[in-house]
Amino acid sequence: MKRLDWLSRCGLICLMVLVAAAVAGWFGLAGDPAAIDGDRLRPPGAAAWLGTDDLGRSLLPRLLEGIGATLLLSSLAVLVTAVVSTALGIVAGYVGGAVNEAVLRLVEVLYAFPSIVLAILVAAVVGPGRPAAMAAIVLVTIPLMTRLVRAAAATVASRDYITSAVVSGVGMPTMLVRHVLPNVGGTIAVQGTYALSIGILVEGGLSFLGLGVQPPQASLGVLIAQGGIYMVAAPWLVIAPGVVLVLAILSINVLGDGLRDRLEPREARSLT
Amino acid sequence: MNQMSIHRDGSVEPPTPTPTPTPVLELDRASVVFPSGPPWRRRRVPAMREVTLQVSAGETLGVVGESGSGKTTTAMVALGLRRPTTGVVRFEGASMPRRRRALAGRMQVVLQHPQWSLDPRMRVGRSVAEPLVVAERLARRAANTTSGAINGSSSGSITDAVAVMLEKVGLDASVAKRHPHELSGGQRQRVAIARALITRPRFVVFDEAVSALDVSVQAQILNLVVDVQAEYGFGALFISHDLGAVRYVAHRIAVMRHGCVVETADTETFYRTPEHEYSRQLLEAL
Repeated sequence: MKRLDWLSRCGLICLMVLVAAAVAGWFGLAGDPAAIDGDRLRPPGAAAWLGTDDLGRSLLPRLLEGIGATLLLSSLAVLVTAVVSTALGIVAGYVGGAVNEAVLRLVEVLYAFPSIVLAILVAAVVGPGRPAAMAAIVLVTIPLMTRLVRAAAATVASRDYITSAVVSGVGMPTMLVRHVLPNVGGTIAVQGTYALSIGILVEGGLSFLGLGVQPPQASLGVLIAQGGIYMVAAPWLVIAPGVVLVLAILSINVLGDGLRDRLEPREARSLT
Repeated sequence: MNQMSIHRDGSVEPPTPTPTPTPVLELDRASVVFPSGPPWRRRRVPAMREVTLQVSAGETLGVVGESGSGKTTTAMVALGLRRPTTGVVRFEGASMPRRRRALAGRMQVVLQHPQWSLDPRMRVGRSVAEPLVVAERLARRAANTTSGAINGSSSGSITDAVAVMLEKVGLDASVAKRHPHELSGGQRQRVAIARALITRPRFVVFDEAVSALDVSVQAQILNLVVDVQAEYGFGALFISHDLGAVRYVAHRIAVMRHGCVVETADTETFYRTPEHEYSRQLLEAL
């Protein structure tokens, strides 16, 4: 098995730094995100490293809180996606036939909606807030992940060791858990990282539109939306969360590429 | 080791099977038809046409024919993985049970691709033990429902059975701790044979089991098949497009073409005086 390349390792380190920042934010190591420190729209300096916002709150603790909220929300949503997509995908891929067709048609209906339109639709039905953002991320990320897990499971189902196991009397639940799931684990891990970056993007977009996390709670989307009002007078308010958002998505994507090379080597994929 | 005798002229004399009154496996006028095309223009593609075959205990029936002749479909039907559209399949004199798991451990298969014959995520020992574990679990469940008795092998005895079986197929018992990618193609196929035989099955299908191996490894695996059959006495269906390999292991040969069995004969008779025109063409191409 190959080691992660340098770019993927950079992505992993970057992601770990972001997670550490989120943990620091939860423990209040950078201060109280709701505390008003002094002047409004103060530029970055010794007193407030990333400046202050329109209410005089230091941006740094709010940014750390926002990173934590965005990562946690997206991760939980992707966890739900991974569980649902894996269950649907491996059953559809292994059983095939009508079950496969039903699952594929279902995810194609979800595929037919542009992701942001689907997210807005969910937020409109559920109501703005964290549950809406989470439900939107789940619905947006399920179609692609289900299709890819299904394809991987169908490939595994055609392998000789599956036929041997069927002949040996291995039942379907055992087959799915013991033989199919471990062999599509690489696909799930890789798609999980891509789904996480999509999740962060959807959360940012929904919160930016006022349909996701609601102020005074912070998320990267909320911070960008609030900072955008003062983009000319106080550009640091939008630059800092914007850079973090880009870094988070970029690092997760390069980590996903590295995981794909490591867990789904080309020689294993070419023999399908 | 029970090797077959090879005459100076190159002809092979397979070991004589022990005759039994009831065939282990019997296909009686079995046909399989696959539907093809959209529902409004459904076509019926026959893959097997009234195939009648019998395999006795200790006997190997070689099935030869070109690609698409229905060999693998025949194997699937024989293993109970596909129900025939018409005709009957009997295992040890009885019709195939509705639930295939009722035959767990009593019939096994060794397939073509060494790289995919074993689960790449499982250690070899666990792969070899799996059929035994499943068969014992099912037997225990059946005994539970009838008498309430619980009696099964311990994990220690299963480990011992795996070690014995690996040694039986010419591998060191320590191979059990390895993963399939740490073994060569020939070793993997030996492991696949050990896995197939650990439950002492009555019937084994070898579907192109040596086709993906190089010639020297093929010979070793063919010798192994002959040896273990002599020891365990299972009936075997040996499917191959390699007439040389089939001649080496099979007692009788069935030639398939377009889903039909066009000729069935003893191995020596077949190679000396093939009756069907297609059989003669196959032998001329050898």
